[in-house]
Amino acid sequence: MIDSPGGVSVGVALAQARANIESKRAEAMAIVDVQIAALESVVPPLSLDDQGFRLTEAYRAANAVIDAASPFELLDLCGAASGLCDLIDGAPADETFDWRIVTVHARSLRLLQTLPVEETEARSTVLDSLKMVADRKLPPRA
Amino acid sequence: MGGVGESLRESAVINLTAATTMVVDDSAFGLDLTCQALRGFGIRTSYTCQSAAEAMEILADQPIDLLVVDCEMPSVDGYELVRWLRRSTKANAMAPVIMTAAHIRRSKIAEARDCGANFVVTKPFSAATLLERIVWVARDVRPFLEVGDYFGPDRRIRDEGPPSEERRATVIRKAAFDAEQAAQTAAKDNV
Repeated sequence: MIDSPGGVSVGVALAQARANIESKRAEAMAIVDVQIAALESVVPPLSLDDQGFRLTEAYRAANAVIDAASPFELLDLCGAASGLCDLIDGAPADETFDWRIVTVHARSLRLLQTLPVEETEARSTVLDSLKMVADRKLPPRA
Repeated sequence: MGGVGESLRESAVINLTAATTMVVDDSAFGLDLTCQALRGFGIRTSYTCQSAAEAMEILADQPIDLLVVDCEMPSVDGYELVRWLRRSTKANAMAPVIMTAAHIRRSKIAEARDCGANFVVTKPFSAATLLERIVWVARDVRPFLEVGDYFGPDRRIRDEGPPSEERRATVIRKAAFDAEQAAQTAAKDNV
């Protein structure tokens, strides 16, 4: 089917796809904003029983940030959100989760969202801090 | 991320206009973005579904040429959907499947490998990566294997690499050979 007569060149197909995706940028940025707000507003759990539900809420919000930001190659936002997903996913269900991890990721995502693109040093500092959190909290990969 | 993958040349011509495609994503925006990318590639998405249940109803009897499905969905997730597709449908048991994921939980890594998808693409990925995977599945000549609980394309891809021009040439040669055989048979029948 793919080799049947007609169609478009790969170059044209990619240019069209990128233009179509780019037309959605404003909508994507609004979704990123909503999902960071959702992450900021997740209430810390009062008990271990409640923790799984709250962490799922935070995981979903971080996942949605990646979904909306990734087509626009906002790698800093994706990296920070992915780091939080790793930390939530790697947390033992029978131990109390250090909720400061969610708080610091929410603040960092907000900072990365608002920092001008050219502030590369500030962006790197934010990401390095989050990496240190991940290195401290996550078990080493096998 | 912006460059074309190694197996794609900018000047290569592809025709995906006839492909019957389904996109499944619980996020309306994610669904829209994937459809926009596909539209750029010349693919008009035939079915869009926001849940696995909705997709299952259609997949049970409507044959499709390509399924693009999000891994993380509430209730029935993408892995379960693909496993069901491979095991429970006649129309689409061997349909090409590309799964997309923002993040794959550690507990789901084995599931991602074993559910029977052709490829799993993790975000962030570019339009070029998505197109490259679509071209790979379109030219994928890996046999389907049933091994224990697994039914899907042969996963031993590491030794051979992705579907390439050379493998495409093999398919074309085989098609030409089959056509020649059919013509010879028809000529004999007419004598």
